[in-house]
Amino acid sequence: MSPKFQIKVFQLSRFLKNFTIVSVITFSFILVFFSKTDYYVIYGIKNLSSSVVVPVTRFISAPVNAFSNIVDEYNQFRSLKFENKILKEEIIRLKKWQTLAIQNSRENKVLKKLLNATDNNLILIKTASLINRNDTIYSKLINLNAGYEDKIKKNMSAINERGLVGKVIDTTAKNSRVILLTDPNLSISVKSISDGIFSLLSGNGDGKYLVSSFVKENKMPRLGDIVVTSGTAQIFPVDLLVGKVAKVEKNRFFVLPFVDFENIDYLQIVTSK
Amino acid sequence: MEFSKFLTPSVKLNIILTISFSVSVNSFILFPNVNNAFYILFHLTFIYLIFYHYHYYLYVVALVYGILFDILLLNYIGAHLITFLSLLILFALLRKYLNNLSFYKIIFIYFISLIISLLFEQIIANIINDYKFNTLLILNFILISLIIFIPTLFLFTKLDK
Repeated sequence: MSPKFQIKVFQLSRFLKNFTIVSVITFSFILVFFSKTDYYVIYGIKNLSSSVVVPVTRFISAPVNAFSNIVDEYNQFRSLKFENKILKEEIIRLKKWQTLAIQNSRENKVLKKLLNATDNNLILIKTASLINRNDTIYSKLINLNAGYEDKIKKNMSAINERGLVGKVIDTTAKNSRVILLTDPNLSISVKSISDGIFSLLSGNGDGKYLVSSFVKENKMPRLGDIVVTSGTAQIFPVDLLVGKVAKVEKNRFFVLPFVDFENIDYLQIVTSK
Repeated sequence: MEFSKFLTPSVKLNIILTISFSVSVNSFILFPNVNNAFYILFHLTFIYLIFYHYHYYLYVVALVYGILFDILLLNYIGAHLITFLSLLILFALLRKYLNNLSFYKIIFIYFISLIISLLFEQIIANIINDYKFNTLLILNFILISLIIFIPTLFLFTKLDK
């Protein structure tokens, strides 16, 4: 009886092994094939990863995060005296600007009334905070704590007080994923404010600058020009601040974004009216 | 005593795998190289598991981590999943030949497998997900691999006794 039983167990184990390998490979092929579609299984996996896996990985990596925060606070403390001096100078400069801004704002209101113009072209969908970021390896992605339950949809724009941050590429019930402007795979259509030169910008790979991938009629903007979204691709609303031209070469130019991508805490998800 | 019985080298390596995965998918702005180092440590651990603790449960491990890496780092399933499964299948096919090799040759193949898998991931991401090939990232990976390879190997051999 015993040898027969052993053979059966051996066969079952071998069958289990082969079955596991074949089913894993088949399942993988199916997943890769349906990865870019909104297939139910893919959606479920994405939902699970953002609602379960991300919090678990954050918990496990908490010691590294805590150490990173301590170093950050120590660095901030070291530069406190220097920053204080700069801030005092900045306050004096800003007070002068404030007086001018109040004057301009009053003038602006009067002119808008005369033209019967509306204030802006944006609809605020939701203000969300950052859960975690995956922007070191491969794509530059961040996760936010608001999803389609908060009426966030794919392709909506993410902005903060400094300007355009990125675009929503994925939403689940309570989370959404934003691709940052600095990602080399995201292109935005922009125009320079002073000359109205239209071009396409994408991330440079270094995570700091945006580089032009196409410039209409090969006209280069001037150094220091401010660049805003053109709204021509109808993905980003028109006139969102993007950055400043930092370097101009023969066939391309580099833009330094206004947004400090290393210090993002809250984002506003907006869409055009 | 009971707990130490449970902590076999394979379990310890799987714990390292989970920790390195968790750290590599959470970016730390001040230490971007920490993410990269843990990302490479994950690959080193996975290849070590394939080389010295090959078992068919590793196909499920490759499936889970492959999907999660792809979704969290690329938003589309493909590059990591294909690479991990290819590594496993390739090893299963070449296992007989690898068993006859000397220690130094195995170490050399171990390092080459690591670099090839990192390159392979970028190439597949480029083909499937249109991800732009990042030469700087690959150079950074190679440099970190060179730094952490020997200490990691030392740690793993210690864990394996």
